[in-house]
This record gives sequence, C-alpha cells and structure tokens, in this order.
Amino acid sequence: MTTLVSVYDLPSDVSTVVRKLKSRGFEDLTTYSPAPFEEIEEAEDPKPSAVRLFTLIGGLTGVVTGFGIQIWMSMDWPIKIAGKNIAAIPPMWIIGFELTILFGGILTVLGLVILGGLYPRSLDEHYSPRFSAEEFGVVVRCEERDVAEVESLMRDNNAKEVTLAASH
Amino acid sequence: MSELDRRDFLKIVGLSAGAAAAAGCSDPADKLIPYVIQPEEITPGIAVMYASTCQECSAACGLHVKTREGRPIKLEGNPEHPINQGRLCARGQAGIGRTYHPDRIEGPAQRSGDGSLQALTWDDAKNKLAAKLGSAASKTWILGGTVGPSLDGLLDGFAKAAGIGGRLSYDSFGQQALIAASQSVFGVAAAPIFDVSDADLVIDFGSDFLDTGVSPTEHAGQLAKSRDMNAHADGGARLISIGPRQNLTASNADIWVPAAAGSEGLLALALAKAVAKKTGSNIASSAISGADIGKAVSAAGIERASFDRVAEKIASAHHAVALPPGIAAATTAGAGAAAAVLLLNAVIGALGHQLKYPASDARPVSSLKDVLALIGEMKAGNVDCLLIHDLNPVYSLPASAGFKEALAKVDLVVSFASLIDETSEVSNLLLPDHTSMERWGDANPRPGVRSIVQPTIRPLFDTQALGDTLLSVARAMGGGVADGLPAGSWKSVVEANWSDTNWRQALARGGVFEATPTRDVSVSSDAAYLRPSAPRLQGGGAFTVIAFPHSYYGDGRGAALPWMQEIPDPVTKLSWNSWAEISLKKAKEMGVVFGDVIKIETESGSIEISAFPRGGVRDDVVAIPIGQGHTVGHYASMAGDDQPGVARGANVAAILPAAHDEAGGQAFLSTSAKVSKAGRFRRLALSQWTDNQRKRGLAQEVSIHDLTKGGMAHFAAVANASEDSGHGEAAAGGHHFEGPPFEFDPKNDAEPGQPYRWGMTIDNDKCTGCSACIAACYIENNGVIVGELEAIRHREMNWIRIERYVGEGNDDVREDSERRPTPDGEILGHAEVRHLPMLCQHCGAAPCEAVCPVIATYHSPEGINGMTYNRCVGTRYCANNCVYKVRRFNYFDYGRLNWPGLLGLMLNPDVTVRNQGVMEKCSFCSQRIEAARQPAKDEGREIGDGEVVTACQQACPSDAITFGNYREESSSVSTLARQGEDRAYHALQELNTRPAVTYLAQVRREKNEGVH
Amino acid sequence: MAPPPASAVADAMNAPARPRDSQTNVDIMAVTKGFHWPWLLAFLFAVAGVLMALGALIYETYYGLGVAGYQAPVFWGVYIITFVFWIGIGHAGTLISAILFLFRAKWRNAINRGAETMTVFAVLTAALFPLIHIGRLWKFYFLLPYPNQRYLWVNFKSPLLWDVFAINTYLTISVLFFIVGLIPDIAVARDRAVGWKKAIYTIVAAGWQGTGKQWKAHNRAVLHLSGIATPLVLSVHSIVSWDFAMSIVPGWHATIFAPYFVAGAIFGGFAMVLVVMIPVRRIFRLERYITDYHFENMARFILFTSLICGYAYGAEYFIAWYSGVEPEQTSFWQRAFGPYWFSTWCMIIFNVVMPQLLWIKKLRTNIPFLFVLSFFINLGMWFERYVIIITSLSREYVPAAWGLYIPSTVELIVLSGSFCWFSMFFLLFLKIFPIIAISEVKELEIHARDHAQAQAQGGAH
Repeated sequence: MTTLVSVYDLPSDVSTVVRKLKSRGFEDLTTYSPAPFEEIEEAEDPKPSAVRLFTLIGGLTGVVTGFGIQIWMSMDWPIKIAGKNIAAIPPMWIIGFELTILFGGILTVLGLVILGGLYPRSLDEHYSPRFSAEEFGVVVRCEERDVAEVESLMRDNNAKEVTLAASH
Repeated sequence: MSELDRRDFLKIVGLSAGAAAAAGCSDPADKLIPYVIQPEEITPGIAVMYASTCQECSAACGLHVKTREGRPIKLEGNPEHPINQGRLCARGQAGIGRTYHPDRIEGPAQRSGDGSLQALTWDDAKNKLAAKLGSAASKTWILGGTVGPSLDGLLDGFAKAAGIGGRLSYDSFGQQALIAASQSVFGVAAAPIFDVSDADLVIDFGSDFLDTGVSPTEHAGQLAKSRDMNAHADGGARLISIGPRQNLTASNADIWVPAAAGSEGLLALALAKAVAKKTGSNIASSAISGADIGKAVSAAGIERASFDRVAEKIASAHHAVALPPGIAAATTAGAGAAAAVLLLNAVIGALGHQLKYPASDARPVSSLKDVLALIGEMKAGNVDCLLIHDLNPVYSLPASAGFKEALAKVDLVVSFASLIDETSEVSNLLLPDHTSMERWGDANPRPGVRSIVQPTIRPLFDTQALGDTLLSVARAMGGGVADGLPAGSWKSVVEANWSDTNWRQALARGGVFEATPTRDVSVSSDAAYLRPSAPRLQGGGAFTVIAFPHSYYGDGRGAALPWMQEIPDPVTKLSWNSWAEISLKKAKEMGVVFGDVIKIETESGSIEISAFPRGGVRDDVVAIPIGQGHTVGHYASMAGDDQPGVARGANVAAILPAAHDEAGGQAFLSTSAKVSKAGRFRRLALSQWTDNQRKRGLAQEVSIHDLTKGGMAHFAAVANASEDSGHGEAAAGGHHFEGPPFEFDPKNDAEPGQPYRWGMTIDNDKCTGCSACIAACYIENNGVIVGELEAIRHREMNWIRIERYVGEGNDDVREDSERRPTPDGEILGHAEVRHLPMLCQHCGAAPCEAVCPVIATYHSPEGINGMTYNRCVGTRYCANNCVYKVRRFNYFDYGRLNWPGLLGLMLNPDVTVRNQGVMEKCSFCSQRIEAARQPAKDEGREIGDGEVVTACQQACPSDAITFGNYREESSSVSTLARQGEDRAYHALQELNTRPAVTYLAQVRREKNEGVH
Repeated sequence: MAPPPASAVADAMNAPARPRDSQTNVDIMAVTKGFHWPWLLAFLFAVAGVLMALGALIYETYYGLGVAGYQAPVFWGVYIITFVFWIGIGHAGTLISAILFLFRAKWRNAINRGAETMTVFAVLTAALFPLIHIGRLWKFYFLLPYPNQRYLWVNFKSPLLWDVFAINTYLTISVLFFIVGLIPDIAVARDRAVGWKKAIYTIVAAGWQGTGKQWKAHNRAVLHLSGIATPLVLSVHSIVSWDFAMSIVPGWHATIFAPYFVAGAIFGGFAMVLVVMIPVRRIFRLERYITDYHFENMARFILFTSLICGYAYGAEYFIAWYSGVEPEQTSFWQRAFGPYWFSTWCMIIFNVVMPQLLWIKKLRTNIPFLFVLSFFINLGMWFERYVIIITSLSREYVPAAWGLYIPSTVELIVLSGSFCWFSMFFLLFLKIFPIIAISEVKELEIHARDHAQAQAQGGAH
C-alpha cells in the first residue's frame, strides 16, 4: 500500500476531490482542515453524527436523577415545612431541569471525545502544522497501481502539491 | 437495673448541660467535676425553687428563686405573696444580675491617699472601723437606705450600743408628703393602701401607679382585674390620667388630661367641689367650698370642657378612687396636693373601700430635710466618720445639696455597697455586703405582710452580710458594746425576730402573709395642708423641669443591671442612655430633631442631653428620667464601652435644687430651666422606627360600643373604633377575617395525630407595655445584651419586644421617609397608645421555613416553629422573609464575649448558648414544655392545661399572656380565643401565615375628644 | 510491479515547500507573546486587590458578620448585590456564543471568545459570594445534599438551594462549552509553541488535528451545547430572581422578576463585554478582527435590552400602585423618595435614560463614548440590585421594625476585591490562550476566498 498526501487552498476543491475519490472506491482517506467546513464533512461522511445520542441519554438520565434524589431525600428526612407537602412536586421541576442540562452537557462532551477520537496516542504521521494554518490536506491510502490515477485526480482539482509518502 | 441506668443518665445530662452553659461563658479549660457526695436536695438537671423577697424597690414582692446545681438562674414571682401574687416586674427579674455582676466588690479594702485600693482581711477591716468608732463614736453617723425590720432593728441597736451620733435611713422616693397629708386630713400617720381591683373609675394625679408607683406590679394586676373584658361586659374600670407628661399610666388611660405640672392639688379640690355639688357629698370643708374651679382650670392650662368631662365621669362612678401625685409631681407643696387628693377620695366615697389605712403607723423614714441637716453637720466638721449602706447619696442627692463636697470633710467614709458606685468610689473603707441573693433578711411592706429574704447561693466573693459586720465590729469595740446586741450571727438575729412564727413554714412559703388590719378614718375638715399653695419653682426659664422616676432605674441603682439598660423604655422605646422629652412644637421652634443635644440650665447647674421630641408632653415642660448618668459601673457608666469614668447619659440630679415639700420629702418638680441647642448630635438607641402603624392593623382596637352591641365581626368593629379615634375608616385595611382565628389547619399546623398544637393568646387590652415579659425572656433564654453601639444599629437580640403604636396611624406612603426614626404620632391629650407584644408567631405556614436551604428552621409535629442552631449556616433568608421581624442573628460570637464578671454563671443550662453566625428566635420556651412532658409521660397522660407556663406569661403583671394547647377544646387559650372572638385577630392576617399567636384587640372605652 | 509515475517521484525528491503560517494565527497568537506594560500593571494591581479582599474576608470570618453593615431588618447587603451583579455579567458570553450561534449570526465569531472568557470568570466570581455572605462560612457544605450518617438532607423548597444547583450547572456547562470551542485554537498554539508551553498546549489540545471526523463531532457538540445552554442561561437568572420573587417581602414578591432579571443580565453583560474588549482591542491591536461593526451591533443589543429594563421598572411601579396594597405602595414610594432615593435615580438614569443616546448612529459608533456608557451601565446595574435588595428589606410589613443599612468598609473592600479577582483571571487568560476564536475567524476568511475563486472561474467560462 502507498499513501498520497495532497495539499489544497480551498475547501471547495477538497470536497470535490473527496467526493470523486470516494466515487472511485478510494474509501481510505483522511482530510485535514484549519476550520470547520460543512461541504467537506458532507463529502466525507453524509451520515448524521451520533453525538445527538449522547446528548439525549444524558438529558434523560439527568431528569430522572433530578426528580429521583429530590423525592427520595424528602421522604428520607420527612419534615413539615411551611405547611407544604413533604415531597411537594412543583418546586422539584427547577432542580430536575438543571440536572437535565448538566448531564446532557457532560455527555455531549463525552460524545465529542469518543466520536472525535480525541486524545490519540500520537498525532497522525502525515499531519502537519500547515493544516492548522490555512491549508487543507487530503491523505489517501491506495494500491501502488492506483497512484497515478489518484494523483492525476488530485492535480486536476488544484492540489498544490502531491507527495508520495514512503510505502510499507 | 434499667431504672438505675436512667438515673445515671439523667445526672450526666444535667451535669453536662450545666457544663455546656458554663463553657459558653467561661474559659473552655474548665473541668466538669461531678458531685462526690451529692447534696440531698439537689438533683442535677432539676431546678430547685427557694422562696425569697425582691429587694430592688420598696414594694418587696415575693420571689421564687429558681436554682440549678446551687446557682440561682432566674427569679419568678411567689404566687402565695399578697403583693405581687406570682408576678414580677422587669427590674425584679433583672435583680438576679447583681449577684454575678462584674461590678461586685470582691472583698474588704481600704483606699490609700492616691485613691488606689488595698485589700484587707475582714479582721483588719473591722478592727480599723472598731478603733475609729471607739475614738469618735459620737461624731459618727450612719446614712442608709430603707431596710427590712430586722436590719433596721439591728442598726438602731448598734447605733445605741456604740453611742453613734445619729442614723438616717433615707429613701429619695419616700412618701413623707403622703403620710403628712394623711396625718393632716385623717389624723393618721400612715400611707394609705390603694386597691383598684374592684374600682370602676381610677383617677391618677400623676402617681404613675402602673409603672413607678408605690407597688406597680400589684396595682397593674389589680387594674387588669378591674378592666378584664371577660369579667366586665361594659369594659370595667375607666382610667383617667392627669399630668403634663404621657407616662406609662397615661399611655394606658382612657382619658388623659394634660394638666400643667404642679396643678394637681388645685384640680383635685376643684373636682371635689364639682363632684360634691353633683352628688351632694356630706363632707363640709372650707377647702372644698373655697375652691375656685375657674382658677384651677386656668392654672392647669386645660379646657373647661375636659374638666367637666372628668367631673361628670367621677360623679357618675360608683367605686371611683383618686391616686395622689407621685415622684414626678412632687412639688414644694406636695403635702398640700396629696391632702387635696385624699380629700377628693373622701368626697367620692373611696374611703374604706378602694383606699384603706393600715391599723399601725408607718415606720418613720428620714427625709431630705434630715439629710440636708446631716450635710450641714458634715460641712461644720462635726462628722468624723460616716457609714453608708444601701444608698448612693453621692449620685442620687441633688448636686446643689453639696453632699460630695461635705464628704471631703469627713475623716473616714465607710461604704457597705456590694457593687461599686459613685459613693464607694470616694469612700475610704469598703466593707462589701452580700447581695440579697446571698444573705438573710426580711421585709415588711405593709402590716400583716412579712416576707423573708433567704440566701440561695454560697457567697461568691469575700463579702459579709452587713448584719454580721455590725455585730463583729461591736464585739471588736469591746467595752461592753456588744452586750447591748444579740449574741450569735446575723442569721440568728433574723430568726429571733421571726420567733413568733413557724420559721420553717415561713421559709417554705416565703413569709407570713395575713390580711392587713385596717382602721376607719374620718376627715378633719379643715386640715392645715388644705390651703392649696402654688408650688415654688426655682429660677426662670420657659420650661418646667420634670424629673420623672423610671421603673428600670429606680433611684439609680437599677442602671447597673444590663437588662435595664438594654430593654427599651416602655414609653419612648429608648435604651442605654438618658434623654430629654420636649414637645414637637417647641422642638420645631428651636430647630431640634431627635438626637440633637440640648443644654438644660437651671440655677442649680446645667446638663447636656439628647433631645427626644414627642407629642406626649406639654409645651411648657422638659422631662428627664431619673437614674441615668452614672460615672461608675460596667453597664451604668460607659466603662463597659471602654470609656471608664464617662457618664452614660446625664444625671438629672445635677440640675435639681435641694428643695423639699412641707414634710421634708424631696421635691423633684421644683425648678424651671432654660433650654438651648448645644449644636451637637448624639444618636440614641431608639428600638422602634416609628409609632405609625400605617393602618396595617398590627395593633387593632375595638370600641366598647361595638362590643357591647355584640356579635359583630371584629374588623367592622375595628373600622368603627378607628372612626371613634377620629381617623376615618382605618385598619379594616385588607384584614379579611375568615373564621375564628383559634381554628387551625389540622393537616399542616401540627401533625394530625398529635394531641398538641401549642399556641398563645395575648390580650392587648391588658398589656400595659411594662416590659416585664422582655426581661423574663432574656433571662430564661440566655438572651444576649448587645450594648448601646449595637442597639443603635438595631442589633438587639430580644425574642419578644413590645411595639408601641399610636392609633391606627395613617397609610400615606410619603410618611416616614426620613433617614432617622420619627415616632411623632402622639397628640397632647389623646389617649390612643397601643402596645403590641411581638414574638415569633409560630406560623402554621411559616414564610421563614420555606426559604431555609438546610432545614435549620422547621415545623415541629406539635406546631412549634423550631430552630436548629447547629444546622444553621446563616444565610439570613428566614429573617428577610419573616413578616413579623422577630428573628435575630448572632452577628458576633456573643456566647464567648457576652457575659463579663460571673454573669455566665446565671445562664440557663436548659437553653443553648447560641453560636456566631446563626439565627435565633422565640422557641415558646420549649425547654419548659419538655420539663412538663416527662412527669406527664410518667403518669401516662397528656400535658394538662396550665402545666406549661412560658417565661413571659409567668412574669406578666396583668396576666395578658396565656400559653397552652389549641387542640384541647377546654384549654385556657382556646377558651380565651373563643370568648374574645369579637376581639380576636391574627397580626397581618391577610398574609395567611396562620400564626399560633392570637391577639385580643385592645378596647377603646372612651372616645378621644381631643380637648385639653 | 509497475514503477511509480515520474512526476510524483520528482515531487518526492524536492522537499515540500515550508508551510507559510496564516496571518490570522500570527496576529492573534501575538497577544499571548511578548510583553505589554499595561498588562503587567493591571495584573499586579489585580493581585494586590485580591490579597486585600482575602485579608478582609479572614477578618470578617473570625470576628463574625457584625463587621459588615447588616442591621435588622436588612439582613442581605453588598455581598448578595454583588453576587447577582456578577451572575448577570456571566450571561452575556453564553448568550452570544449559544443563542447567536443558533441564529447563525456570524458577526459573533470575533467577539464570542472574549465574551465566553468573561462569562466563565464572572460566574467563577459570583459563585464565591453566597459563601462569603453566609454566617458560618466553615459550614458551607451543609448547603449540598451530601450523604451523612444522620441522614440530614437539604430543603428542596428553598430558592437558595435552587441557586446552588443552577449556578453549579451553569458554571460546569459554560466551562465545557468554552473549552470545546477552545480546542482547535489550542491546536494552533500547540503547532507553533516550543518547550513547556508546547507541553501544556499539547495536553489541552487533546490531540486535535482538524480531521473531518473531529470537525464533524465538534460541530455537533457545539450545536447541542448551544441548544441546551440557551434555556440554561435563561433559567439561571430566572432562578436567581426567584430568590426574591418567591419571598413575601414587599418589592420582591413580583411575577415580572424572571424576565426582568434576564433582560437586565443581558443588558449588563453586553455592557461589560464592551468595557473589557474595547481596551483589549486597543492594547493588543486587534482592530483587524474586532471591528467597529461588532461594537455597533453590541450597542444595538444594549439599546434594545435597556428598553426592556425601562419597561420592567415602569411595570413594577405601575403594579405597585395598581395593586392597592399599601405595604407594596409604600415600599416603592420609599424607593424613589425615601432614604435610598439616590440608588434608585442612579439606576434609572444610567440604565434607561443614558442608553437612549444610542439611537444616534454617530454615538453608537463612537468607541470612547461606548466605553464610558458601558461603564455607567454597569454601575447602574449594580445599583439596580442595590435598590431591589436594600430598599425593599428596609421597609417591610412591621413599621416598628423598619431600619437602614450602610455598607461597611470590609464589605466595600471585598466588593472591589471581586473585580480584581475577575481581572486577574482574565488577564492570565489573555497571556496563555487566544482571545479571539481563530478557527471561526478563518472559517469566514477562507469562505470568502473560496467564494471569490468560484466567481472568477465562473467569469472564465
């Protein structure tokens, strides 16, 4: 297998390249971009992100916990206060709501860490500071016989450089 | 076995409770040492009561001294005592503080040339005195206060045996004028005994009998009885007060006639004439026939209409009684005024009913005249040695009498004071006496009533009872001096005097109480004193100086007691200082506002004092309380505020002439003065912002007409009542009354299964505002004394206060926008003051509970609004949300700082000493509820009605407070609330806090016609 | 096996050209580099202030709250006022980042980092005050429902407890939101740092490399966080307002409080953003990124919210009058004409009258004027809380128990200390992390370039 590293200036080019490569069956590719661009994400992976699940689960856990602890604690230490019921529900909505938000938020971030693959053991071999400047990168792993095809495809779409990384 | 365990447990609890309290006040290093051999009568944790007698004033009320583990912790009234019948006034309550006071003199001492004190042993001390007496007995005088019969006898005996030059027992509030008048009018050398309990009309000629009279606690009780709405449908006795200043009695009067100072005598005679004409009295007296109503009225500076009104009231009354002028109205013609009032009593037929004469004559008491004579002797150098006991003449005598200067001429001045005072400061030899809590003694307030003073604690310091000192000195003198005196100790002397009684029984009861034997008297129609002479006023000046006695300070000795300083004066609501009352009008003219310092100059001297402008005084007077302005003492002077030697307020004695009435008694109303702005401002601690209740119906009022019409819902009554008091439709203001207030929400106010819902009824109609309840609460609940600086910042820690409002107030939103308190609602001649005891209302739906984040305050199953100090973090949200503003916050660690001297020893072990940073408030004396619970539990029954008596209820002289169980239909609280349904209301009812305190609205018996 | 194409080999021979860094990176990271006198002075001043406040606090805790100005019946004072003040400030950031993000108001990108930073540290400051305020500081943990052997729990009916939860939630969420937004920028910093700084950045950057996968998750996370932060930010100040509205005190017990407080918070928060960002822009020369256009938009917002505040003030007085309840009416009369009239008029003039000048475009775009105005608005907002808390408490149901409150020196020291505490953190942040959201700015720039390119090609065809 060989790895081709190509560099671009514009997100539109990147998205085209990615789309074309994918359509030709080159699935094993990674894009690097200095800022979020939806067209690139679209091209790379049209499926909606699963972060939403984390948020949902977090929120539900939160509301249940919120009411849970309030009702239980009130019952566990039952004291008459201001002539109100021991476990009066109306005031519980507030803390119930707050915990919904709290848990939802925390799990959302957890989702980001897991799904975004944050905290990798080390940075990618082909990642370079220029990608945190203003340039975009597309890294493709392909059979050596396909190198020419991929490279030409890249160059056709304004790749500034195409580098053939050491093959393994 | 288990029984034994319980006992041990109880002991431990009791001891540790004591230790907890002790740790609260003294060095935490103190060790807890259990009894090795436990005294028989003491069970740790259980209070022991001893009967004794209050020595604060001459009324001599009976006490029950509550002791815990051998320490007196509270004074309560002795129910068997005929004088106070179980009640006790504020000063009586506070009297316990003397024993533990930081001002205590710890042992005999001698003053050296440079003024410093060297401690002596008692032997040296008595030998010194003995030697002196041996050489100069004839040039030795004894100057003392009035004391009990035993000590009086011993002093006389000693004086005789030792050949003392002379002895005076002086009381600056003595009744010489009254006794002389009685002598002159009825030929009886005794003070009359007044009983208003079955009167239907009481006319007070400035005796202020509810507050500073002869026996306030007794008379307040009697008046409450004669005005009890539940006993008298017509409202019972009417009270008419005559005098230039609205004192506490006038505040409670139905009609207040603001007559000029010193006009009492003329008015009394004029009234006698007017009434005699109406009733056709058979008393023929030239004084009456000679009286000139027109002159009297103009002299009194009142309107004829109000005179006629009073005369009409008297004529139509069946059991009227007139009370003679008191200290504040004691003029140079005092005997004449008293005589006139006595004659009036004869005319209205009070003689033998509301006014009786004891069978025996009064014990002679020396008068100011005698004291002036002594001073003359001293100045002449004829006095070589002066023994001073139970008196503080350097402070209390008029400065112009020159006692202090004369004292310098005396070689040896001996003070027997147990607390340092101005006199002991200038004495050469100090032989400190025990306090009344440590010594034996007795009192004889009136024939037939003999009361014992017994020690309830081992002497705390190296002091000695005056009796013992005298005896030992006599023995030390040798030469057979002691032979004329009883052998043995002072105790045996007292016992000997009681040998005619069953001593042990007397001890247990507190004395021997028999009906006072009385005698019939007849009017000697043309008595000498009945030539009414106008009182002489020294000097010129627009203002007549009214030096009025204060129920807290007495002749000045009360000022040493912290509670008497901290508790606001019932009339002005001021504390911690003295003040000068001038009329709003005059204040406006002089450009003086509350707190401005004014200069009061008389021929005898001048003082500077903060002004208190109010509507309740005539324009031609300036009124100053007697008893403040001490320069010595932790609380009495500014010493406690780190300003030793600086006077707290001003001593009115500095501007009074040494004038006396015909009989020699001091004439306090004897000078006029010039008043001018001093240009300074000194803020006073005024505990109450305003006397305008803004028609919020906090202190409500019902007019007697509506009540007798009967059955009408009370808020309508309030509306009408307020029309009566001339205010348009008043505090009906939003107080929509649903159902009788003594019914509670059974589900929430207390647990449904519970037999109890503790609650309280307060009858505002009975409350006189005397503030005895406040003192009782402070002492029962270890209340904190915060001092003047903190009091000025409204940081008082009282759990019960008495709010004083004038009428319904007005709801003009613009009122009271000043930065300074403005209690200025009073109108001269209007009697519409309302007193509202305010304490935690223990609401069923308490605003404070809902907001506490940590449940430090909660609702107990028995309906009490509990406060858990240990749980409180001090967010103070509860205090903000309390609509009655009865919650108190511990701004500092008072537990550590607040009990100087040994005051910590009198802490109540049953009540926690609060920690820095926590809230506190009235607990309905839960410790007393618990005390009652155990026996009830043992007998397997519920706590019965009247078994729990809160401290405030116990003290109240007029029985205004009732505590009990609202769940019990027959309990006194329920009954009262039901009986008084027309008057019953809850404070701020429209907020629906469902309080456990039910107020019974004050009754307006007479309309305020606003004439004067 | 076929040989690789020559061209590729050729490229592989000559090393790839050195990556040129983007101007944006350079400019914005420049803030964290180098040495600025104003910064150092400000920082030292802040630290000194914090130390002083700390001393005052220790003194107060030892001797008791008596050293503060509290006197019955006013049991809440400067501390609660300042607490509400800072919580209010802490609303602008989240509002800008979350709500404007949802509305896709792209102009926010330049200022949202600054605003968020302010938010986090403002809430951090506010959260101290309930503790400073309580009578027994050392027992603050009683406020938390922590398991204990006596099974004592807390009172869920108390608005103060709602506060505990609301504030902690808000603090957590805004910090998370803040860090999530920060990660890509820290990656930038990491790639350009050396030595210990690199080490730190490497940890915080969480291995960010801007892969498609990461951006996808990141966008989602930001979207969801904005989604939940929006109701949160509204709830928090509502709950704070219920500390008052849920009570029975005349002047507090009003249904308008929640919206009134939220509007006030946004108002004051935006003003504070200006107070903070105008000098920052000036000192660190960020005019290219934070333009007058941004400030003008802020000004518009301030004008809008000031109108809401004005309405709320008016409504309060109207209802007090309309209710016919005398205690309520008295309370409000005393506000305007009683002992505390000055605070009320400061509030009205600074918060309602002065902002009306923003109708004038000339003033709206005059940066010095904006700075001064914002300063006064913050003053006015502090006084607003002063009015609400102090005057209401000083005139309650029992006239006999009325009173006044004058702040003590200790309280004022702690108050000024809170500003130093806030500044200290903000200044430190300036020197370590980018104060402008680099990636978001780039997003806009590159988009623009891309667009231009497309235009050009379109023209060619």
